[in-house]
Amino acid sequence: MSNKRTQIPRRKFLKTAVSAAGAAVTAPMFIPGSALGLNGAVPPSERIIVGGIGIGNRGTYDLGCFLEQKDVQFAAVCDIKQARRTAVKKMVDGKYGTDGCAIYRDFRELLDRNDIDAVLIATGPNWHATAAMTAAKAGKDMYCEKPVTKNIAQSLILAETMRRTGRVFQAGTQRRNLPHFAFACALARTGKLGKIKRVYAHPMGMQAMMSGWLPAEPEPDPEIVDWNMYLGPASWRPFNAKLLDGFNFEKGGGLVGGGVLEWGSHCVDLCQWAVDDCAPPVEYDPPKDGQLVARYENGTELIFRETGWIPLGSCPVRFEGEDGWVEAGDSGKLVLSSPALLAGRTVEEIGGYPATFHVRDFLDCVKTRSQPKGNADAACNAHIVCHAANIALHLGRQVKFDNQTHEFVGDDEANRLRSEALREPWRL
Amino acid sequence: MTRQLQRPFLFLTTWLILAAGLCAADDQVKSSAHQEKDLLAVLRSDAPAGEKAITCKLLAIHGTSEAVADLAPLLSNPQLASWARIALEAIPGPEADEALRKATDSLDGLLLVGVINSIGVRRDAASVEALTKHLKNNDVESASAAAVALGRIGTDEAAQSLRQALQAGPVPVRSAVAEGCVLCAERRLAEGKSAEAAELYDEVRKAEVPKQRLLEATRGAILARGDEGLPLLLEQLRSEDAKFFQIALSTAREVQGGKVDQTLAEELARAQPERAALIVQAMADRPETVVLAAVLNAAEQGPKPVRLSAIDALRRVGDDSCLGSLLTIATDADAELAQAAKATLAEMPGDQVDSQIVDLLPQADGKIYPVLIGLIGQRRIEATDTLLKSLTHSNPAVRRAALAALGETVDLKGLPVLIAQVVTPKNSEDAAAAQQALKTAAVRMPDREACATALANAVQRTPSATTKASLLEILGAVGGTKALATVGAAAKTSNPELQDVSTRLLGEWMTADAAPVLLDLAKTAPGEKYQVRAMRGYIRIARQFVLPEQQRIEMCQQVLDAARPAEQKLVFDVLKRYPSVAMLKLAIRALQEPELKDDANAAVLTIAQSVASKGVDVREHLAQAGLEPVKVEIVKAEYGAGSTQKDVTAVLQKYAGNLPLIVLPSAGYNANFGDPLPDSVKQLKVQYRLNGKPGEATFAEDAAILLPAPK
Repeated sequence: MSNKRTQIPRRKFLKTAVSAAGAAVTAPMFIPGSALGLNGAVPPSERIIVGGIGIGNRGTYDLGCFLEQKDVQFAAVCDIKQARRTAVKKMVDGKYGTDGCAIYRDFRELLDRNDIDAVLIATGPNWHATAAMTAAKAGKDMYCEKPVTKNIAQSLILAETMRRTGRVFQAGTQRRNLPHFAFACALARTGKLGKIKRVYAHPMGMQAMMSGWLPAEPEPDPEIVDWNMYLGPASWRPFNAKLLDGFNFEKGGGLVGGGVLEWGSHCVDLCQWAVDDCAPPVEYDPPKDGQLVARYENGTELIFRETGWIPLGSCPVRFEGEDGWVEAGDSGKLVLSSPALLAGRTVEEIGGYPATFHVRDFLDCVKTRSQPKGNADAACNAHIVCHAANIALHLGRQVKFDNQTHEFVGDDEANRLRSEALREPWRL
Repeated sequence: MTRQLQRPFLFLTTWLILAAGLCAADDQVKSSAHQEKDLLAVLRSDAPAGEKAITCKLLAIHGTSEAVADLAPLLSNPQLASWARIALEAIPGPEADEALRKATDSLDGLLLVGVINSIGVRRDAASVEALTKHLKNNDVESASAAAVALGRIGTDEAAQSLRQALQAGPVPVRSAVAEGCVLCAERRLAEGKSAEAAELYDEVRKAEVPKQRLLEATRGAILARGDEGLPLLLEQLRSEDAKFFQIALSTAREVQGGKVDQTLAEELARAQPERAALIVQAMADRPETVVLAAVLNAAEQGPKPVRLSAIDALRRVGDDSCLGSLLTIATDADAELAQAAKATLAEMPGDQVDSQIVDLLPQADGKIYPVLIGLIGQRRIEATDTLLKSLTHSNPAVRRAALAALGETVDLKGLPVLIAQVVTPKNSEDAAAAQQALKTAAVRMPDREACATALANAVQRTPSATTKASLLEILGAVGGTKALATVGAAAKTSNPELQDVSTRLLGEWMTADAAPVLLDLAKTAPGEKYQVRAMRGYIRIARQFVLPEQQRIEMCQQVLDAARPAEQKLVFDVLKRYPSVAMLKLAIRALQEPELKDDANAAVLTIAQSVASKGVDVREHLAQAGLEPVKVEIVKAEYGAGSTQKDVTAVLQKYAGNLPLIVLPSAGYNANFGDPLPDSVKQLKVQYRLNGKPGEATFAEDAAILLPAPK
């Protein structure tokens, strides 16, 4: 594995763009349709042509968000399961009143279509990084569900590939575009809480889920379930229907993964935003008393903890500074150390949903070529944090991470967990 | 357990032990060496493939050069090859490199592709010769893998091989060869060899390769040249091909230094509107060096699409120098431009912007005046004195805008100003705006009790019942102890208007501390109407709020003791929603009231079923209620109307327990049975047996399914 990232200068605008967008609670940046000469209506020639890859439960929700957008034409779907292919085609064709949604079993055929501008990748996490990078090399922009990567190496290569190919990448970290989370992060990032001492993330189960090798069952007709394409970059094993749970299959490669990665890719991502998307922590302690503590270079702690949260819904985060704190969760609510932090606003005024903001952010950036909130650099760093924490969890000892070399310091075993070979013919 | 079944179990156990062993390891080297020995023993055994597969995965952590000889043979095993490569990619040292390199001589097809990919990951410079040979492999996948692997290795020799293939290699492999070249170029750029990098990028740009590779090379060629790459950037900005224009937009954001900002500014002035609208967005993504004057100029004049985009861009990069122009646009006759300018003004960064807005207000007139006032509110600028002066303006729209801005900005000290506007409005037509402003201000006060005290004092002082009622509404929105006491006291006055508004507010109160106030009113409020309203509000708290169990039980007890039958029946919903033995006892006690008997009976059965499902023995309680568990058999059940009947026997059979009450999982019959006849009133007819005795009953749509005892 390469130890050095290529040194094309990190795009400074990213940091500024994110800061500017998060400094105040606003709708995502957009250019009015009329600014692009569209006057509200979107002629077919101006629509973003989108294809879907692996549209299951979460993907169907994402697809709904895409179909709401007037400047999107959803043109094709690919799934290794026939039932999903036909269900999504029915949904899309029903929306448009046509029979135009093409179906594919192999996503490379979908990527070969020159008319498709962007793809929605909502496969299981086993495929996310490989599909994303294949799509980027095929010249497609992409909205890719999380967790995006299975290990540290994939995270780094993802960011490099998106830079090199000039593609717009949005991770499915939709909370970056939810106003109450954005407000909480902005409080931390802009100094309203004083110097940040601790940021907290909820891992929801610090356990890895092993997707091993189960007894062989008769393999279905590939037209019904294409087992070979389901395995994709994961090493071969015989068909077993229990492994068809794509949501959990090979998440983080099996030895490491689980809740730290599943939920961390959201709540660690928010913690990273709160500390201004700086480089990941440099020390990771093994869990103790239900907490896993990581430390940034400046001493700020990132703490994974299961309990002790104010009941604000799932995916809670908490940011503590010298002058105050804020906690937020999926309920759309915020709790603050002082109401003065609201600066004259109310929680209700700030809060909530819909998650379509995140899709809109992506589509706007497809047009402007700017970077969306869940861009590849941000996703790379947040995922590195999760993978490094998982490695400390798996090894049961403290690990130290060097953000220059992207190696663990003096820990051969930890370093070997940074990457994992892909099954042939897949590569990143 | 058969041997076949034992294997996965033993393997999993082994894996868990090995994994756990890691946690306890003090001496990593010794521990790994010991574990490697055990793992190699598995590989050398006749263990099933699955066991060997996961063993490879563990060797990725614990394996050394000792393991390579056992892993290498697996590279030709289609099932285990990639498992073996997991280990071989991770094991340090030349032995693993050599094993992979050697395998390229004998393998072909997918297995060869996998090995080549692993060589690329390991960046084995000694493999360049072997990979170069495979660039000419007839299998496109193998040749493409070799090209990308050479790119990852990135040595001069690797780059040379790729350059030759770029010109003379087979066309289907050119895309991968170009990818390899770009990877080599990136490495050179990272090492500070910009000229070499630019040369490589240029070679790709000139080659016959897919457009995406050309885009990547173009981006690199611009970045590798720094300022000298700007003409190339400009060329792309003017390209007729939209993809090259797009790569220029994203690359422009990456170029370091300030010269590119000037280039973008110049191009903005000459580009077609649809492109200029996008160029201005790229300019705004470079806030540290953006040519602000160019963005501002584009906002002020020119084609409307570009103006709108530029106005939007100023939201991120504008400053006080843009204020005058944006204020002018904010009063433009074109509503879309005006709205865009107002949105930007509301968010444009800079403290100077705030102070200038306040300074401009006294001299402002016409359309700009209300815009400025609106901005004071939207930007939360403290300017109470200035806004107060605006309250005497002759234009009602200005006065209302000022009130709204005060609502957004006053602090606790300024609150009396708004209270005065509500209690003694100078213009009656402003009353509604004043009340809204006071409410807006009151609900965001950090010190809620102090705010409520100020409002409560105003309630006391004002003689007007209507004004009191308005203030009480605001107190209801504020909440807290003082607000509760004030609204509670108002409910007990003799004024019907205050009684009405107060009991309504208390019925909607958002905290459970309203419960004792409501209970008191339920007993003592003047007039039955308000007593009933208070009791229903009290039951609402018991039903909806998070409460200690004991408190909820006591509240239900109070309702059963004090309320009228209509309200007493409502409490059964609470009992059923929070089933417990205590709630069951309350329901059983209610059975003694003839008017409550049917509802209480249903509640008893529902609670008993729920509690029993958690393992609690409820037989004694049911016996107390005159109920015993029964054997329930559903013979036939039909749901519908007239001749349209749907057989729902199976559904009822599924949910029938050992009590004569059947609780369906979803609310409403249609949700459970489906709707056999939409828009018609339907019935459920059930034939059943209780302890063997046949019975029959008909239930109105959505009624509780309580099977009567057969006669």
